[in-house]
Amino acid sequence: MAEFSTSVRENGDISIINLKGFLDAHTAPTLESNFTQLINDSKFKIVVNFENLAYISSAGLGVFMAYIESIRDNKGDIKLTNMSDKVFNIFDLLGFPLLYEIYKNEEEAIKKFSGS
Amino acid sequence: MVKISRNIVTTQLQLFFLVAFLLFIFKIFFGSSDYVYLRILLDLLISASIFFLLLALVRFENSRTTAPLSLIMNVGILSAIMFFIITFSDYLMPGIFDNINLKLKNPGLVYDIVSVFYVLVFIGFVSYFLLTLRHFFFLNQGRNVRIYFNTMMIFFILASLSGNFFQAENVSFLSSTFLIVSVLLMVFNSIRISWIAFLSKKEKIYLLLLSFVITTLFIVNISNSSGDNIHSQMINAFSPSLKQFNVIVMVYGSIYFLILFFTTLFHLPTAEAYDRKAQEVTSLQYFSKLITEVLDFNDLAETVTDIAQKLSGSKATWIIWKNGAKQNSLAAKNIGFVESDKVTKQILERISFENLTSTRTFNIKEKISENPASNSLAVVSVSPIKTRGDTQGILVAAKGSGQIFTQDDLNAMETFSDYASVAIENSRLLEESIEKERLEKELDVAREIQRKILPLQVPVYPNLQVASVFIPAFEVGGDYYDFFKITETKLGFVIADVSGKGISAAFIMAEVKGIFESLSKTIERPKEILIKANEILKEALDSKTFVSAAYGYFDLAEKKLVFSRAGHCPLFLLRGGDSKQIRPSGLGLGLSDTDYFEKTLEEYSIDLNENDTIVLYTDGVTEAKNELLEDFGDKLFLQALQSNINLTAEELSNTIIKEITVFSSGHEQYDDITLVIFKWQQ
Repeated sequence: MAEFSTSVRENGDISIINLKGFLDAHTAPTLESNFTQLINDSKFKIVVNFENLAYISSAGLGVFMAYIESIRDNKGDIKLTNMSDKVFNIFDLLGFPLLYEIYKNEEEAIKKFSGS
Repeated sequence: MVKISRNIVTTQLQLFFLVAFLLFIFKIFFGSSDYVYLRILLDLLISASIFFLLLALVRFENSRTTAPLSLIMNVGILSAIMFFIITFSDYLMPGIFDNINLKLKNPGLVYDIVSVFYVLVFIGFVSYFLLTLRHFFFLNQGRNVRIYFNTMMIFFILASLSGNFFQAENVSFLSSTFLIVSVLLMVFNSIRISWIAFLSKKEKIYLLLLSFVITTLFIVNISNSSGDNIHSQMINAFSPSLKQFNVIVMVYGSIYFLILFFTTLFHLPTAEAYDRKAQEVTSLQYFSKLITEVLDFNDLAETVTDIAQKLSGSKATWIIWKNGAKQNSLAAKNIGFVESDKVTKQILERISFENLTSTRTFNIKEKISENPASNSLAVVSVSPIKTRGDTQGILVAAKGSGQIFTQDDLNAMETFSDYASVAIENSRLLEESIEKERLEKELDVAREIQRKILPLQVPVYPNLQVASVFIPAFEVGGDYYDFFKITETKLGFVIADVSGKGISAAFIMAEVKGIFESLSKTIERPKEILIKANEILKEALDSKTFVSAAYGYFDLAEKKLVFSRAGHCPLFLLRGGDSKQIRPSGLGLGLSDTDYFEKTLEEYSIDLNENDTIVLYTDGVTEAKNELLEDFGDKLFLQALQSNINLTAEELSNTIIKEITVFSSGHEQYDDITLVIFKWQQ
């Protein structure tokens, strides 16, 4: 199937994961290993930037559910930004906006982390 | 089989002992008579004893496989023993006989026993020598070999007997003639010694020494046997023919081993080259067999370097394997990974994987280790290992200073790396196809589960048309829909999509079916059913798995539709010329705890009008893609529905599916497609 890649940047104590391509059952392990690594490094403030994400499947959504609990237990959070309408619609259908903070851009998410 | 042949051996041995006993009886009664018929009878008995012993030994030999060298060693030991017996018989026997004469009343009987026993031992020696020589003779699988050998044997017997029976002047030439012919046949039969060509250099040196010693022993034994010593006298007194036969066999032996000695001597200079060629041939044979047998990649790599090391006569071998952007050293033989990595670095500085298309050599420039043992590597040959047409690995063989890679070495490595490529490609393809087959089997099971879970037919009502279409994806997508007859006038329905794919999704589908089937029997309100379902699934599913679902029911008496949506695609209501996406709030099942789920879940109710069309679907419909990877999408979906709104529910669902199929004909169906359509007609 299609390609998927991630990159992780640091912004102070906040980690920013950029997603690119197609996130589905086959490519989900890449993102899972990013989250595992961040949690192992005790980096619990995470922003995920969806700007270059073309598609997300239900298995892709599952990745966020898998880690949110342990991250929030450690007073951290996963905040989602820069979603295209299409991707947002998929999140929205499942009710994810009720579970996650979704922002227009990274700055808002980072500001939210610094504020709280 | 072993048991049977052992029995035969036993029978032959019994016959031998019987004849030996007869010999003994004969000696007691007739002693050494000069009467000619008795002499013939005696020689017949001796011949019979040799014959049966030979047969027994042949069977015994055939029942096990013995290397020629160990047989020669046996001959050497026996001839040495023979030498000692003959030599010491001169010193010991007179003493023994004197003792016998002094102490015993009947010395003749004991003398006979001792001489028969002594003769039998020599019959044993001669039989074994003859047998071994016969064995070597038959190692040359030429035509007519049997005739040559048997002819020789006949002349042996003739020469032995004639010496005894044709002693008169006028016929003594016969005996000499037979003897000369025998010797000629011996020489003729001894020059076929091609079997030594297959020995290694080490074995040839060993053989050279052995054959020299044996030849010497044989010649010494012959001269001892023909001389005027006790041994010679004893045998001669027993039977002159036997003595003659004994000498003839020994002559045959000495001729054979002498020729063997010289042949081996002349083979020695080329032995090393022959060794190498033989090694190449066996390695390549071994490897071509390997191609069809070894499946595991790591085992294969180990074998490749192992054979390459022998083939090229190198000190160390290893494989450089391209692993994404990195290179690994694999299956290093006789070199540590640290050292091999250093050499690898030097190699890759000078040539890239892409540029290496055939075997070539490099000198190692930099020191690779402080350890002088591994530092002595001076030159490497590198050969490409190709899979899918690209150089995926490099087979490295390293030699020490002072050694070189000859053109032969390089040719061998070139051929060998081709074999290695084929083998590695095979193992990779096989691994892929096994994995694919496993996956397909698993998906077959998943599709079977799904097929059994989904309803076989739609319920039929006079005023509500129900139609459903389900198209499974190759990888089971986890779609599920079902209908429940709650009462005569109430029809429950559910549509759901499990996150994930394949067999795990299929199992969760089965669980979801069980949950909705039982809840729909006890609870009426869609919202309460979904709350309960969420509670169960939150416990049952792992944190990254969830289920989107919509549950509702038609109240045919009240002309009402009530439903709730848990993260599922919206419901379409087509009424008159209008269409409406109905999307009450609600989280997917298994995502959040009961309180939050309940708080965010809405229930929606519709009063049904004539010709109202209600459409439920899964995201497989709207996310069906064309070759440009564009989605079928809500817009096209709605258009298709609206322009065919006058069709029955059945026709409408078929038409929509057809449109989706046409739209996505250039792209593989990635997710299950489920479409359920209700049409209200009073």
